[in-house]
Amino acid sequence: MPRRLAYPLLAVATLATMPVALCSIFLRAPEERVMGAVQKIFYVHVPLASITFLSVFVLLVGAVGYLWTRRAAWDHLSIAAAEVGLLYCTLVLITGPIWAKPAWGVWWTWEAKLTTTVILWLLLAGILLARAYAATPEQGARIASILGAVAALDVPIVYKAVDWWRGQHPIVFGPGKPDPLAPGMGSALMLSMLAFVLLYALLVASRMRLADLSDRVAACEEAASRER
Amino acid sequence: MKNYTYLFWGYLVVWVALAAYLVALMRRVGHVSRRLDALEAGRKKQDAGRAT
Repeated sequence: MPRRLAYPLLAVATLATMPVALCSIFLRAPEERVMGAVQKIFYVHVPLASITFLSVFVLLVGAVGYLWTRRAAWDHLSIAAAEVGLLYCTLVLITGPIWAKPAWGVWWTWEAKLTTTVILWLLLAGILLARAYAATPEQGARIASILGAVAALDVPIVYKAVDWWRGQHPIVFGPGKPDPLAPGMGSALMLSMLAFVLLYALLVASRMRLADLSDRVAACEEAASRER
Repeated sequence: MKNYTYLFWGYLVVWVALAAYLVALMRRVGHVSRRLDALEAGRKKQDAGRAT
């Protein structure tokens, strides 16, 4: 498929999937018996968290690719994954307390999973700061790639934090656990996941395009200043 | 009628943040793209001037 066609198609698919996912969450998925309406934040919180993990994996691929080949395209992927991943991680940290307040009685607690997620957020923010304040773009890319690898190490820690430190955060899915979702809940979650994955792909593609254009502008300006 | 007021604000935060980021990103892409076009046009003009 031509690249020019892929981008609008991705945008249309994202726009079409979002309302379907919302209808499925609010109109089709049954209300949870204990939590009631508040549980519906789960359909946003879980996809956002899963895609944050995916984003750190994409970041790692971009970082390793850049350190290995020094090709700008890998670095653009790394920049996009860090920035969009930070946005998704921020939304995870916002939607979590919306559920926690009625469930636990507090907006925030320094529970293992929450704390390790904050560390992940700080690492992603650190990557963007390292790029912004490095002496040269190459130095920024190198530091960001190393921090990306550290962020990737934090992901399994976030995932296993509840088991390792006996945290309060609920574990809905896991090995050996029976399917906890009532009929209608699973399909709503899958549709929401699809919508957020498509949006993620759209945001990453846009951010990569911006990074590519910025590099080309910088190269043009450098060439112009050399000629002067 | 189920009370979704509480959730409305939660969902609103998510959508506003995502939409704001997308709009800001598109504006930045547009701005940088125009800057690149202007630089390339200037360069072509300069090259044409040199050739004549």
